[in-house]
Formats: sequence, structure tokens, C-alpha cells
Amino acid sequence: MPIIQVTDLHKYFGPLHVLRGISLSVERGEVVCVIGRSGSGKSTLLRCINFLEQPTHGRIEVDELVVNVERHRLTPEQKLVIRHIRMRTGMVFQEFNLFPHLSVIDNLIEAPVTVKGMKKADANPLAEKYLAKVGLMHKRDEYPARLSGGQKQRVAIARALTMQPEVMMFDEPTSALDPELIGEVLDVMKELAREGTTMLVVTHEMGFASEVCDRVIYMDEGQIVEEAPPEQIFTSPADPRTRQFLDRLLRTQTSEK
Amino acid sequence: MATQVATVPTLAQQILQQQTQAQRTFTIRVIISWVAFLVFLLFIFSGVTIQIGPITIRTIQLDGDFIREWAPFISEGTIRTLEICFLSIFFASILALLAALGRLSRIAPIYALSTFYVSLIRGTPLLLQIFFFFLALPQMGIVLPGFVAGVAALSLNYGAYMSEIFRAGIQSVGKGQREAALALGLTQSQTMRRIVLPQALRVVIPPIGNEFIAMLKDSSLVSATGFVQEIMWRAQKVGRANFRGLEALLVAALWYWVMTLIFSAIQSRTENRLARGDR
Repeated sequence: MPIIQVTDLHKYFGPLHVLRGISLSVERGEVVCVIGRSGSGKSTLLRCINFLEQPTHGRIEVDELVVNVERHRLTPEQKLVIRHIRMRTGMVFQEFNLFPHLSVIDNLIEAPVTVKGMKKADANPLAEKYLAKVGLMHKRDEYPARLSGGQKQRVAIARALTMQPEVMMFDEPTSALDPELIGEVLDVMKELAREGTTMLVVTHEMGFASEVCDRVIYMDEGQIVEEAPPEQIFTSPADPRTRQFLDRLLRTQTSEK
Repeated sequence: MATQVATVPTLAQQILQQQTQAQRTFTIRVIISWVAFLVFLLFIFSGVTIQIGPITIRTIQLDGDFIREWAPFISEGTIRTLEICFLSIFFASILALLAALGRLSRIAPIYALSTFYVSLIRGTPLLLQIFFFFLALPQMGIVLPGFVAGVAALSLNYGAYMSEIFRAGIQSVGKGQREAALALGLTQSQTMRRIVLPQALRVVIPPIGNEFIAMLKDSSLVSATGFVQEIMWRAQKVGRANFRGLEALLVAALWYWVMTLIFSAIQSRTENRLARGDR
């Protein structure tokens, strides 16, 4: 039984057809990376799964919770299902989006307390456990403004984990970081993958994708072009578009060095 | 070679020093000029006569006895004025928040109510609104004391203008904040209450201070109802009764000015502290 099952997903932004019939499934314990040029719709795909963007049409299933978008207006029942989908999917954003008015620990316990109704006394040790996991226990009472970009993103990961989601989704988690800070975030993500966390990762970090992912999805113009294990997609991509994308990426990344 | 290297920062330091010095000189000159203007203002009302050759300068003679007798009475009005302002800014803030939320709502009647309210209030004079509460409502059987009418009118009026401040404050909180909260499973209203508003409030506190300072002066319009014993009402009353309008108004003006100075100082300090905060 897949944890995420997306069926024939379409998304329009005005007249722009951004997702053109995406079908995708993620199994429990699997790490799936989504790669592709900017504008290919990979972030939108992620944001449709937890309904930060409302799909125009299609079926989303997360942990056996199903939302079938068949009309513009969602029913109250669907909205409730969506909220439960969000509680079971952790989301990590490119821009971290930590709550600046809350200390690190309060960032972490906000959702467990407000959403799940946990007592602070129960939420605190849970939050501390995940804070320790990302190696930032010593920043427990700091405010986000006093953290580096890499630390912010690690806190954001811990915040998502504190809700104990069934699956973690990462939307280009290292794209807003200075190069020297990318490593510490990727290390945390690798650790999570090793522990068997189910992950869906939109990324430009091909090293991470080839090293950690069980499966790589290449997207172009709102469609899934190719879907294969990393060793296959990175060495012998089947589709010429995938090959072109990877070639160009390889060239720019070598020329940067 | 070594000396050359050493002179470069020295020259830069010299220029920096000159800049600092110039800034300090400017500040000192501003203070001196302020004092000079103040002295000149006092001189105008000093009542002395100066003979310079053929020209005689006679400054305005104030009635000291009147001031001594009635200044305390006028000054007592500051309490009433502050009562009006504190109450009004409180209710205005609540109205402004509601109006701002309405303005951001996607529910048509709520959006309409909010824009209707703001348009109606901004389209009519404050003085008219005060009279409306005091003089027009009794015709419909609602008789409000002057104080209540004044606070109601000021609250409604300022609430409408301040709704823009709250709206800007709410919108200053990035979209990412809302998305992060929703993605964690918070409801729309939890997101607004726990994530967006606390951040928006920080942004709106300094402009609310500005509105309060403006209100200190606008509260004088409430005196027109004739039943609220704030500064302006008291000044008018004793000024008219004794034909000493000049003295009475000067005392009132002094109080408004002093209060404005005090609250401006408090406001700028709050603003600095909030700006320094941990955002």
C-alpha cells in the first residue's frame, strides 16, 4: 500500500497548464527524488500533495486519506481530510519559514500543541528529541533570527518531524543556502533516509539524489518523463530530454568549479 | 612604503572624524536654534516695550492674574483628554483589526461591510460624526452622554483610518509563514491567531502610536458637544467668561504640545525597541 498515491493530477495557473496529468506513488520507507528544470512543475507537484496549491483536477491519496478534486469548491469534509493529510506530511520549504516571533523550541511545539492538543510537558521532550537529532539542542531557546541559514533549515526539519509525520516532503531544501551550509542540511537528510524515513525530495543536488534516493523522477513541462533508480537515470537515461538536462547540469556544475 | 600604508587608514579616519564632527555641529546648532525660537515666542508674549530709536516695539501683554487663577482648571482637563484618547484608541484598534480582517476576507458580505464602513467614515468629517452621536441620535431616542458620544465617534473614525495600518501589518507577514503553519496542520483561524497576528502586531504598534498622538489633538473636537470637560472645553469656557481667550488658549495649546512631545518620545523609544527585537 503506497503512502502517497497521486493519480492524473492537473494544475492550471490561470491559462498556464503547469501539471499535465501526473501519476506517482511513493512506498513506505522509500526515498524518492524529483529533479527537473525550474518551471517544470516539480515544486507545484509537492505543494499540490498537501494542498498548499489546490489541484485543478485529480486524485490525491496520502496514508489512505483520499481527496478527489472534481470541482473548484472543496467540501467541508474534504477540507477536514486535507488538514489530516497535512498533519501526516512534513513539509520543508526552500525559505525555511520558521516563525520569527517564536523561539526554536516554541517553533517545534507549536503544531503538536495547537493541532494535536498535546500538553506542553509532553511536547517539549518530543521536540527536544528531534532538536538533538538535527544537532541543535544548544539553540533550543534562541530565536530564528540568530541562526545561520543551515541551522534554520535544520530547525525547520525538526519542526516538521515533531509532528511525527508519515512522510517528509522537501521542496528544494538547500537552494536558498550559501554553498558552505548545504552540507549540514544534506547530512541531516541522509541520516533520516538511513533511518527509513519516507521522503519525497525536490532537489537540484544530484549528488544527494544519486547517493540517497531509491528512485529518481525526472519532470519536464508538467509531466513525468522518466522514473528510474539513480544508477540507471544518471548513467544511462532512457529519454533524450533527461539526457540533455543531465548533460547541461553536469557542464554548468563542472564549470562552476 | 610602510608609512604610506599607515597613512591611508589615517586619512580615512580623519574624514570619518570630520563627518562625525559635522553631524554633531549640526545637532548642536539645531538645539540652539530651537531654544532661540522658544525664547522669541516667550518674548512675543512678554509684555515688554522696547524703544529702538524711533521704533517702539510693544509685545503682547498677558493677564498673569487670569492665568494664575484659571490655568489649574484648564490643566485638569488633561485627565479627561487622556481618558478619551486611551479609550478611543483601544476601541479604534479593535474596530481597525476587524475591518482589516474583513477587508482581507473572501466572503463577499464581510468584505463589503468592511469597505462600506471605511468609505462612509472617511467620506464624512470627524466633527459631523461627533455631532451625529451627540445631536442626531437623541432624535431616534438614543441619548448618549457627551463623553460616550465623543469616544464612540473618535473610535469609529480612527478605526476606519487605522484599518489600513492593520491591513498593511497583516500583509507584511510573508506568505511563507501562512504556508508553513497550514502545512503543519493549523486551521486558517489558528494560523491567523497564532502565527500571523502576533507578527503583524509588532509592525502596527509604532503607527498606532502616531494615531494616538494625532488623536490627542483631534479629541479637542469633542468639546463641541459642550459636556465633556477636557482641555479645550475648559479653555473655551473660562476664556469666554473672562474675555481672556488668548491666555486660555495658550494654556491649552501648551498642554497639547507638552503631551505630544511626551508621547512622541515614548513612541520613538518603543519603535526603536521593536526594531531591535528578534525578528
